[in-house]
Order: sequence, then C-alpha cells, then structure tokens
Amino acid sequence: MSLVNLAHVCSHLNNATKARLSLTSIPNSNLHLKLCHALQNSGYLSSVVRGGPTPPPAHPILGHPAANDEMEGIEPVTLDNVASRRLWLGLKYWRNESVLGKVKMVSKPTRRVTIDVEGLRRVVRGEDAGYVGGLRSPGESLFLSTDRGIMEARECVEKKLGGLVLCRVL
Amino acid sequence: MSLARPARCLFCSFSRTATPGTRVPRRQFHSTPAPLTNRKPKFPNVRSSENQIESSRSGLKAEDFKSYTEEEKAHLAKEYSAAQMEAIKAGEAAIDPKDLSEQSVRRTDPYRFKYLDDFSVIEPGIDRNVRAPESNSDYNFKLKSEDQFVEDFGRFFAESNEDIKPSDFVRFAESLRLTEGKEENELNPHSALVPDLFGPGETIDEPRAEERKSAAEKGEKERSLEAEELTDALKSLLLATGYTERQVRELRTKTLVSHSVVNQTRLGKVRRAYRLSVAGNGNGLLGIGEGKSEEAADAKIQSQYRAIRNMQPVPRYENRTIFGDVTGKVGAVELQLMHRPPGFGLRTQHLIYEMCRAAGIHDLAAKVNRSRNKMNTVKAAYEALMSQRDPEEVARARGKKIVDVRKVYYAGKV
Repeated sequence: MSLVNLAHVCSHLNNATKARLSLTSIPNSNLHLKLCHALQNSGYLSSVVRGGPTPPPAHPILGHPAANDEMEGIEPVTLDNVASRRLWLGLKYWRNESVLGKVKMVSKPTRRVTIDVEGLRRVVRGEDAGYVGGLRSPGESLFLSTDRGIMEARECVEKKLGGLVLCRVL
Repeated sequence: MSLARPARCLFCSFSRTATPGTRVPRRQFHSTPAPLTNRKPKFPNVRSSENQIESSRSGLKAEDFKSYTEEEKAHLAKEYSAAQMEAIKAGEAAIDPKDLSEQSVRRTDPYRFKYLDDFSVIEPGIDRNVRAPESNSDYNFKLKSEDQFVEDFGRFFAESNEDIKPSDFVRFAESLRLTEGKEENELNPHSALVPDLFGPGETIDEPRAEERKSAAEKGEKERSLEAEELTDALKSLLLATGYTERQVRELRTKTLVSHSVVNQTRLGKVRRAYRLSVAGNGNGLLGIGEGKSEEAADAKIQSQYRAIRNMQPVPRYENRTIFGDVTGKVGAVELQLMHRPPGFGLRTQHLIYEMCRAAGIHDLAAKVNRSRNKMNTVKAAYEALMSQRDPEEVARARGKKIVDVRKVYYAGKV
C-alpha cells in the first residue's frame, strides 16, 4: 500500500478537475482501484474502467467508457499486459462545478493515521478526533481502508469498523 | 492558649508596657493562624427573624379554634349543600386545634400576599387551560347560507316592536349564530387554544392612546421626509432595484471601511475618500459596495447605494447559520467561517459581525488568518458566504440522497 502513489493520484485528480477533464487515467493498482470504486459508489466518479495506455472507447449510450460495455468489451488483464494497465476515471460536473471537489490526503507516507469506531463517530458528527478533523460541510466525505475494503466513513460507522484514514473529499 | 505554642520569655510581658503605641497582633510561630479577637464578618448577616420574612407565630391557642356553633352551621347550610356540609364537618374533625395553634402562621412580612386568591376562576395567563368537553364538538356543522341570514333578520324584525333601539341591533348581532348544528360547537368549542389574555380592545393601562400618538408622530416624520427632494442617485437606485424609498430606508446599511486614497498624476497627488459599505435586509440578502469621491459624505452614500444594488441572497441554514464551513481568500486575507449550533451567537470580529447582522445570520464563528486588512476581510467574507454549497445541489450532483438528520428525526430540536 503505497501512500506516495495515492498522494500522486489525489493531486492528479485535483489537477484534472481544475482542467475540466471528463476522462483521466491513473496508475493501476488494487488500492487505487478500490478507492476509485468507493468514490464511484459515493457518486464522485461516473465511471472506473481498467484499460490500456489509450482511453477505452466510450459507451454508445452513456458517453463515457463503461466497465460492463458489451459492444466493445474490456481487454482482460493478463500477465503480459498488466504492467501497461491504467485506471480510466470519468469525472463528473454539475452546474459548472466539478462534483469531485478537493481530494486531500489525511494519512501521509511518513505518518499513517488510523482511527477507531468511537473516533469515527465523532468525526461523522462533525467533531475532531485526534488527527482527523470532523466532516463539517455538506457532502464532505472521508475514505478509510478497513478490513473489509475501502469505504466511506459513514459506512464504516454503520459497520462498526475502524481503519487507516486515506483521504478526505470535499 | 494552646500547649503547642512556644513558651515566650516571661520578662517580655514586663517590657511590653515600655513600648508605647497600639498592639498589633504579632505573627505566631505556629502553622495555624491565631484567631483574632475582634474579627467581624465583612458583610453583616441578617437574620430572617430580623427581616420579618419568617412570619411570626400566630400566637393563638388551641382554645381559640372553636368548632362551629349551631347558629353558624345553620347559616352555612344556606350556602352549601348537605354533602358539602358533611365535608366541612369531616374537615373540622380531621384537624386538631392544637396543631392549628402550633403550626399556623400569619405572615407579617412586607412580601406577604395582600389578597386572597380565588381559585374557582380560571385565569388564562396563569392557570392551565381547561378544554370544553369533547361532546361540545359537532363535526357536521355547516356555515349558514345567505338566505338563512336573511331569514334570521326577518325573524328579528317580525318579533321586535315598532321602535327598535340600536342596543337591540347589537344584541341581535351578538346572539346571531353563524353556523348550523350544535350551539356549543360555536360558542364553547372543544379547542386546544387558550383563550386570549385580553379581550378585543382590552389592555392593561390603555397603551392604545400611546400607540395612536406614536403613529401620529411617525406620520409627521414620514411627511417631513417625503418633503425632502429625492436625489438623482436615490432615484436611479429606486428605479434599478424596484424598491420604494421606505424600503430602502429600512435596509440595514453600515459603512465598514473608510480611508482616503491617492491618485498620483503629473499635476500631483489627488486625494479622494474611500468608503466600503454593506447592505442587507436582515433576512438573507447581503451586498457590499465601494464608493470613492472627493467628499466623504458623497462617497458614503455612493457606497451604500452600490451595496444595495449588489444585494444577493445568502444561503442560510435554518435562517440562522451557514451551510458547512466555508473559506474565502482575497489578497493575503484568508478566512474561515464556521457554522455553529443555535444560540451560539456571532463570535466573530466586528466586520464579519456587521455583515452577519445585515444578512440575518445569528450563529457563526470566524477565523481570519494571515492578513487582516479590513477591505479584503469584508470582501473575503462575502466571497466565503457566497461560496456555500447547497446540500440539495450536492445530492443532485452525486446522485445520492442527503437527509438533514436534525430536521427529519429531531424536528430541529437538537
């Protein structure tokens, strides 16, 4: 779990939303893929597709690449092509503003921040807990790496899970 | 004298007379302080008996509490029913006259009640409302039609004598029923509403006259103001905003920044006055405006009118605070506005306080970092207030359902 690469991804996403890109790619890794799925589940991303160095073709109806595209199909990951795989992310915009606001790392490569359920409850309620500031703005979310995968802070509270705090999205 | 006290020199007592002057209590070489003989409390205590708060004993003896004589009983029987008389008799028997003499007190202090309360009457401001019985309500009542009213009126004329007095009309109007159905439903309904403290036209000490007076004064003021000619700037403001002059006057405007600015030309320095004002209606509208002029008063008016023109709605959560924490940055001023719970108040610096007052925000905290330039602080605060994210919009953008837990589950009581 390289937080250095994750930090790069976070700043790349910030740059991409500022540049109004609709599709961008990040290096392929299981951590990145899981985080992107969590972001997609929270509605920040429109699509997450594992593809090659070139952007995968857009879905004829959706307008962006889809992982379950039956027409084009997705190239399967093999030992030969795994090194060249990238994650292609569809970015969303609404009312002239990007849906994915600022993505900011909480844990740093040199200091990993973990939080337990009690602390997470406080954070979700908007209070600070240790190194983690409360979620005080509407639509703000916090992503954690837990035993049961990467998920949003509120979901963690629901499932009574603590874990490593990855990043905060406003 | 405690035994632990160190023994003093016996001869010291002889030499004491030799030292003239007052005796000052000398510090003892002992861990416990010596009690001063003439110690008095700093504030005199007042005993309750001295203050007469505690009532004096009635001074009555058991013999003074006599049971009713036959004559008295006969008199009471006129007033009360037989069952009530039984109750009175039982009450008399239950209380021992000895207890009465020992425990009864008659208050003589100045704060005693000077009246005997009548608990048989329900006073709307003090007592709990007693609703009329539910059987009074009639769910099938109907409002009377016009024809029925005409019929009622005809009946009134037919029944009354030749010479109808105005009082008869009043009585008729008061007794006229507006609905069909149960009479109690209209006159004494089973309602949760508490009756009014004062009836229509009833007041404590006739403040109505004062009201009338102040209204008359107000009218005079208005007329005098109207007499003043509208300036061109005000006219164009009214035209642009669609407000009336009165509405403009009722807006909250405040000049927050004032200094002079200089334009360097080849002829020399040209000084002008600079004013920055905020305007708001105290109910969600806020605008800022800048004005520059040779005359300070002119610049002020200019900035205020511009602020009124620039008024825009500020999103407010529950009409008291902001949605989430927001940041603003203008120049080197970086500030943060933070939402706060109800009753928190405005704990901000004065510029942001005035802006919140104008906009009608009541609970807010703010932090101004780096520079605290007044002009840029106001601008940054305005930017921050305008950059609030609407939860509805966030929900639409993300395709998620966002619920205001405070409102939905706790009805805004948490």
